[in-house]
Amino acid sequence: METLSFLANGFTVAAQPINLALILVGCFVGTLIGSLPGLGPVNGVAILIPLTFAFGFDATSSMILLSAVYYGCMYGGRISSIMLNIPGDEPAIMTTLDGYPMAKSGRAADALAISGVASFIGATLATIGLTLFAPLLAKAAIYFGPADYFALYVMAFATIGGIAGIDPRKTLLAAFVGLMIGTVGLDPATGVARYTFGSFNLYDGFDTIVALVGLFAVSEILMFMELKIKTAAIIPLGRTLPRLSTIKEGLGASFRGSGIGFIAGILPGAGASLGAVMAYTFEKQLNDKDGTFGNGDPRGVAAPEAGNNAASGGALIPMLTLGVPGSGTTAVMLAMLISLNVQPGPLLFEKQPELVWGLVASLYLANIALLILNIPLIGIFTRLLRLPSWALMPFVVAISYLGVYAISHSPFDLMVMVGFGVLGFVFRKLDISLVPVVLGLLLGMDMENNLRRALSISGGDPSILIESPISIGLYIVTGAFLVFSIYLSTRSHKRRDV
Amino acid sequence: MSDRLAGMAILAVSLVYLWAAGGYEAGFGDPLGPAAFPRIIGIPAAVISILLIIWPGRDPQWAGGRRLIRQIAALATLIGYALLLEPLGFVPSTFLAVGGLALLMGARLVPALLTAATIAPALYILFDRVMGLPLPLLGPLIT
Repeated sequence: METLSFLANGFTVAAQPINLALILVGCFVGTLIGSLPGLGPVNGVAILIPLTFAFGFDATSSMILLSAVYYGCMYGGRISSIMLNIPGDEPAIMTTLDGYPMAKSGRAADALAISGVASFIGATLATIGLTLFAPLLAKAAIYFGPADYFALYVMAFATIGGIAGIDPRKTLLAAFVGLMIGTVGLDPATGVARYTFGSFNLYDGFDTIVALVGLFAVSEILMFMELKIKTAAIIPLGRTLPRLSTIKEGLGASFRGSGIGFIAGILPGAGASLGAVMAYTFEKQLNDKDGTFGNGDPRGVAAPEAGNNAASGGALIPMLTLGVPGSGTTAVMLAMLISLNVQPGPLLFEKQPELVWGLVASLYLANIALLILNIPLIGIFTRLLRLPSWALMPFVVAISYLGVYAISHSPFDLMVMVGFGVLGFVFRKLDISLVPVVLGLLLGMDMENNLRRALSISGGDPSILIESPISIGLYIVTGAFLVFSIYLSTRSHKRRDV
Repeated sequence: MSDRLAGMAILAVSLVYLWAAGGYEAGFGDPLGPAAFPRIIGIPAAVISILLIIWPGRDPQWAGGRRLIRQIAALATLIGYALLLEPLGFVPSTFLAVGGLALLMGARLVPALLTAATIAPALYILFDRVMGLPLPLLGPLIT
C-alpha cells in the first residue's frame, strides 16, 4: 500500500506539463533513434545528455526525458529489423530472424503491430516489476557499509562483461583503463593533483559526459566510415491498424518473453540484448515444432521484442537502487545523474522520492505514448527510414558538438571528446567492451572513497574489507562468476581451434 | 598483432601511471593516501596487458585503402571542427563539417552542400534563438 501512495505522488510529478512534454518528445526521439540503423539507445542517450544539461532541466525532468528515449529506442529498434533486415540497434538483432521474413511475405504491418504490442507488454510488465521490487532492494541496500559498497563495485566490474563476454581479460582491462582515467584530477580527500601533467583543464578530471559522447557517438562515425555504402529497399506498408486476431498470435510469446527478459535485465552485465536472445531461444525451443521459426513466425517476432523491452526496464532496478548499472545505457544514465549531483542508491528512495517515483510513473505514461506512436502512427517512422545515412550521421556530429560546447564553451572539451572517440573506435575494433570503461570512469572515485572510508574506520587494517557477511557473499559471487566466465571462454577457444 | 600492440600501449601507460603514483604523498588520518588506489588498479592493468601480449586474440579487420583514407579524412574533419568552432563561429564551421562528412559518406556534391546549408543555420536558429543556448554565430576569423 505504501508503494501505491508513492506511485500516486509520482503521477503528480509526471503529470506536470513540462514532464508530460518531455515524455512525448522523448518517446518520439527515442523511437526515431532506435529505428535508424547505426544509432541505438547508448549513443542516442549519450548525445542527448549534454543538451539536457545545457537546458538546465532538473534531475527529475532530465531522467524522465532520457528514460522515455531509452524505452523509445527499444520500441524503435524493431522497425528497421522488420522493414530492412537491418537491426536498428543491438537488442533488435533477434527480431530480424522472423520479422523480415514476415515482412517479405506481405505481413510487414502485422509484424510491426505484433512486435509493437509485445514491446508494450514487455515494457509495462517490467515497469510493474520495477515498482514492486526496487523499493525492496533499496531497503535491503540500506545495510551496506563502505566495505560492502567496495565489494559491490568489485562485483559490478567483474560481471559487467556478462557471461557472453568475448574475452574476460579484455573486459577487466577495459575496467582498469576506465578506473585509471577516472583518477585524473584533484584527489578529493587530500587535494593532490593526480595525472594532470600541469594542465589546469584537467584539475576537475575528464568530464564523464564529454567522454561518453566521444566514446559512443564519435566512435560510431569512425566505425561508419568502414562500412560499404548501400541503400536498402523498403517494403511497402499496408494498413497500420491490425485486426485483433493478428495481435493474439503473439500474446503468449509476449508474456513468456517478458518474464525471461525482465530477469535478464536485473542481472548485472546482461542487459537488453541478452534478454532478447534468451526470450527468442526459449520460445523457439518451446514452440518450434513445424520449423516455422526463422521463416516468419509471429511468436518469433513477439518473444524477442517483449524480452528486450522487459530487460531494459529490469536494468533500471540495479541502477536506481544500488547505483550500479547493469547495461551500457543505464551506465550512461547513471553518468548523468552523478553529474547532476544525484547519487543513486538506497538513499535516493528516501531523500528524493519525487525523482524515483516521478520517473516510475513517467515510464507508465511513456509506454502508452509509445504504443500509440508505434502502431497507428508507425508510418511516420517507416518513412523516415528513407533518410540517407550521409545526412543523418553528420547531423549527429553537429548535435554532439553543439551539446558538448553548450555545457562548457570549451574547445578543449571538444578535443577531449574527439580523443575519446578515437579510443572508443580502437577498443570497439579490438572487441574491448566500452561499458566497463564508462563504469570505471563513473564509479572509480566512489569506489576509492569507500575503500578509504572503510580503512580509516579500521585504522588501516585491510581485514575490514572481508568482515561483513554482505561483502563476503559478494566476493564469493564475484569469484564464482569469474571462474565460470573464464571456463566458458577457454571452452569456446578450444571449439574454435577444432 | 593488434592485441599485442594494444597490450604494449596499455602496459606502457600503466607503468607510467604506477611510476607517477609514487610521487603522491599521504595525508593525516587517511591510512591509504592518494597513491594506494592507483597502485591497486595499475598493477593488475599491467599484469593483464602482459597476458594479452603473450596470448593475443584474433586480429580484427582494419580498414585498408580508400576506406582507411576516408576514416583519416573523417578524423581530420572532426579535429578541424573542434578547433575551428570558435574561430569561425558555429554556423560556418558546422556547414564545413556537415558538408565534408556527408561527402566522405558518399553523398553527391549538390545534395551534400544543400544539406549542410540547411542543417547549420537550422540548428543555430533552433538552439540559439528559439531555445536560448548561446552559440557563436560567426567567429572572430570572419567578422
